[in-house]
Amino acid sequence: MDYSLLFIVLFLLSFGLVMLYSTSSYEAALEYGDSAYFLKRQLVFTLFGLVLMTGVSFIPYTFWKRVSVLAYLVSVGLIVLVIPFGMEVNGAKRWIRIPGLPMQLQPAEVAKIGVIIFSAMIIEKLGRRSLATIKGFIFPMIPAVIVAVMIWQITDNLSSAIIVVAIVFGMLFVACPDYGKFLGIVVTVLVVGAFIVWYTVNSADTNSLDFRGERILAWLDPQAYAGGKGYQTIQALYAIGSGGVFGKGLGQSMQKLGFIPEAQNDMIFSIICEELGLFGAISIMLMFVLLIWRFMMIANSADDFYGAMLVVGVISHIAVQVILNIAVVTNTIPNTGVTLPFISYGGSSVFFLLSEIGIVLSVARGMRRDELALME
Amino acid sequence: MSRQRVVNGKNTRGGLKRFTISMQNKLVVLFAIVLLAFVGLGVRLFLINRDNGQTYSMQVLSQQAYENQTIPFKRGRILDCKGTVLADSQLVYNVIVDSKQILQKDVYLEPTLDALESLGVNRNRIKEYITNHASSQYYIALKNLSYQDRKAYLEKVAAGIAKEKEDKVPAAQRVYDNIKGIWFESGYQRFYPHGDLACDVLGFSGSGNVGTGGLEEYYNDTLNGVVGRKYGYLDEGLNMEQTMIEAKDGNNLVLTLDANIQSIVQKSLNQFNAAFQNQYREGLGANNAACIVMDCNSGEVLAMAGTPFFDLNHPSDLAALWGMPKLDQNDEPQDGYLTYTDLLTMTEEDKPRYLNALWRNFCISDYYEPGSTAKPFTVAMGLDTGTVSDSDEYYCGGYKMIDGFKIQCHTREGDGWLTTGEAVEYSCNVALMEMVEKIGKENFTKFQNVYNFGLKTGIDLADEARTDQFVSDATMTNSMLATNSFGQNFDATMIQMAAGFCSLINGGNYYEPHVVKKITSPSGMTLKTIEPRVLKKTVSESTSAHIRDYTVMVVEGHNGTGITARPAGYRIGGKTGTAETLPRGNDEYVVSFIGYAPAEDPQIVCYAVVDRANIEEQDNPMYATAIFKNVMEEVLPYMGIYMTEPVTDKERERLDKKGLEVTYTGDESPDKWDWADDDEDMY
Repeated sequence: MDYSLLFIVLFLLSFGLVMLYSTSSYEAALEYGDSAYFLKRQLVFTLFGLVLMTGVSFIPYTFWKRVSVLAYLVSVGLIVLVIPFGMEVNGAKRWIRIPGLPMQLQPAEVAKIGVIIFSAMIIEKLGRRSLATIKGFIFPMIPAVIVAVMIWQITDNLSSAIIVVAIVFGMLFVACPDYGKFLGIVVTVLVVGAFIVWYTVNSADTNSLDFRGERILAWLDPQAYAGGKGYQTIQALYAIGSGGVFGKGLGQSMQKLGFIPEAQNDMIFSIICEELGLFGAISIMLMFVLLIWRFMMIANSADDFYGAMLVVGVISHIAVQVILNIAVVTNTIPNTGVTLPFISYGGSSVFFLLSEIGIVLSVARGMRRDELALME
Repeated sequence: MSRQRVVNGKNTRGGLKRFTISMQNKLVVLFAIVLLAFVGLGVRLFLINRDNGQTYSMQVLSQQAYENQTIPFKRGRILDCKGTVLADSQLVYNVIVDSKQILQKDVYLEPTLDALESLGVNRNRIKEYITNHASSQYYIALKNLSYQDRKAYLEKVAAGIAKEKEDKVPAAQRVYDNIKGIWFESGYQRFYPHGDLACDVLGFSGSGNVGTGGLEEYYNDTLNGVVGRKYGYLDEGLNMEQTMIEAKDGNNLVLTLDANIQSIVQKSLNQFNAAFQNQYREGLGANNAACIVMDCNSGEVLAMAGTPFFDLNHPSDLAALWGMPKLDQNDEPQDGYLTYTDLLTMTEEDKPRYLNALWRNFCISDYYEPGSTAKPFTVAMGLDTGTVSDSDEYYCGGYKMIDGFKIQCHTREGDGWLTTGEAVEYSCNVALMEMVEKIGKENFTKFQNVYNFGLKTGIDLADEARTDQFVSDATMTNSMLATNSFGQNFDATMIQMAAGFCSLINGGNYYEPHVVKKITSPSGMTLKTIEPRVLKKTVSESTSAHIRDYTVMVVEGHNGTGITARPAGYRIGGKTGTAETLPRGNDEYVVSFIGYAPAEDPQIVCYAVVDRANIEEQDNPMYATAIFKNVMEEVLPYMGIYMTEPVTDKERERLDKKGLEVTYTGDESPDKWDWADDDEDMY
């Protein structure tokens, strides 16, 4: 067992629970009459998640290679199930109810892990020579893009779609020997993004924008949209800005008192900044850096290519999600709902993140002997 | 760091399946990119704090809207001299609606509307407001909800929520638990337990704790407390500190007024009104019928009232205006009286004018020519200056020529030879003109000032009038002097007459009339006692004794004009008054009677005035003496003053009808007052 990885994960989980309680207690007491309502639920998810993680860590990761096609099909199937059995929360149909349990499943979270397992298998199958070609890039991308489009169109969850594509993109970046096409794609995406922003700003008067268009405008000038789309963003910025270097102290946030709605979800990082200041926020970011560094060590010393690819997939997943979350909270990019791994409230998220950690732990078990020798 | 090596049977090595060095390098690059992104975000966090930290900190604090709240105070109570509460403030609540909270979830709206409807809010109107003002967080949906209603509502909701929890009703189907966005804001509402009792004296206080009229206005600052405040401020470390300053309740007034005497007075005035309304024309029994009862040895006002009365809890109810004289452009009474049709069609501009007339305290705000009730004052100044003596005799031939004007007495034939006392008893104008000739202008104008005529008495009520019409002795004409001697051609208010008359009969001490006896704190502790205050000495004790004798003759003498004022079983003194209003020749009169009791040891002065009675021939002082008599017959026994005179059969019959006891214990001589039995019962 890789104890340093385990320690980092447990630290993040515990810290997350403390912050979750601090952030959600006010709203929980108002809405449910129990200030620990969210904490209790998250604690249960976390404990089950840890059990799952332990179990998965004992399953040889090669098992996932064999069931990778099945994993992909299950991911796709669950997304399709949203159409008839979907549950609407806050106007978005992203969840399916699990019969007999007081919880819901978010298929997009399943799809992330499914895509990692499946893409790692495809990339391995392609071989080194194919990976050097454009075909070697496009071929593994196709199933990922299909899932992403489904997530986007069926569950109306663009951010998860982006994360799915980004996971595979990261895996391919590591697997392919060249840089050129990746640089090209990044530049293309930036140019297209810039164009969309330019287009949105210039058609701002036509009133023909959908809610994403408005989000872009709110991103550029959150003060102007403080009463609507920019409300959450500007309130999060107030929280960050009022935190200072060491924050107001744990539990002392004012912004959580109804000003940032559902702060325990996507905006929890802003409350961390308000209560613990720059110091606390950067400490947490360092913990994530440490986590990813640890992943990297495991991948580099993995027994085989498939194992390493699994870890790279997890790295991409967690890194992208942390970066997107903090970027949204600091209004660096337009507002899109991304949770902060291990810390934000959410059963599906913590459940499948811990499963991914379980997979990484099982990869870590199979680290080569010579790697061990090197370390000594 | 320890590493565990686990031998894995499925270990595949080398070839395509190997995670190559170049891949490892690319992973390091990926890690570097992630690290870079983190650094970038870290810098962004730092910049937000550096550039906007101060502004955003302020924004966060300024958003804490609840930080500045006022806490209402309770306006002081008004109690009569026996502790009866005449004005009180009740805790009431405003119902505040928070649209934003209600619209948070669809399931909140209907239960909340049901709840608001049960509180008495118009459902459709509030629904419209909530949907049209989705972001509103403060809207007063209902005012003055009583403490009991609010308590019943809160208990009902709490019980409902508990039951729903117990029955495990699903969240969406809950009724009570889904009531959101309703809260209560406390405040106080002024309440007058006795409706119209002492309405003119008390005045009223509406929203904002601003008194209108009477004590509520005069003692507004005393009755009002200081609002409390809940507020936040920033300490040096930009931390929010919360402080609460409790509201300070207002002080209470304890009056000299006696609610029982006041209600006797108002009952008598109402009886008069009931007897005379619609008599000669449609309208009230008189333009004004008013009465003051005072303690003549302290200036304390025991009762004060003038018709029409109005309910202090609903001062703007137009129904109370019925029968009042119509007003001209200058708010002076003119021909015609308000009918119900007039009330229904009254314009918005007219409403405040008429309501102000309704709220006016006739006893202190209106002035009129006092008429013959001024005669004792003239006689007293003659006695006091030595220009008139008790033994003087005057001849009345029915008129007196002054500077070529022929000024009439009350009878054409004249009263013949009269003593000074008889001049008062007969109410002879000619004798008074003879006297005032001897008194002279200088003495007369000096004494009118001493009596405080035309000046404010200083009574502690709002809107006391001041006439200020006094001409100096140099410019006074002879006819002016002559007519002034019997109370014409100068104006006075009721309170001026009553306060001056008290001094004439109590030995010459002019007490400042007052209504408030003491001011107490909210907890009941006495803060200030208002002692009787002698402002001046008007006449000497011997003059006062003569005036007492003469005024008793008015009631007991066989030619007295005030015989009808005598309350059964008591000896009293007093003087009638009849004065034609301006313009002369309209046959409109103010009649009055001012008297005191008991005759031997004056305790109280009562002054009744009827301004233009609703009857064809208004010049009969009996309208006023009847009010005086009715008041005194009830007030004297109430004050524990026993009868000193035998009661005639007719009087006994009247007392029985009123449920009053005969307290006379002296010799039986039932015939003694038979001659004075009035032939006609006024009502």
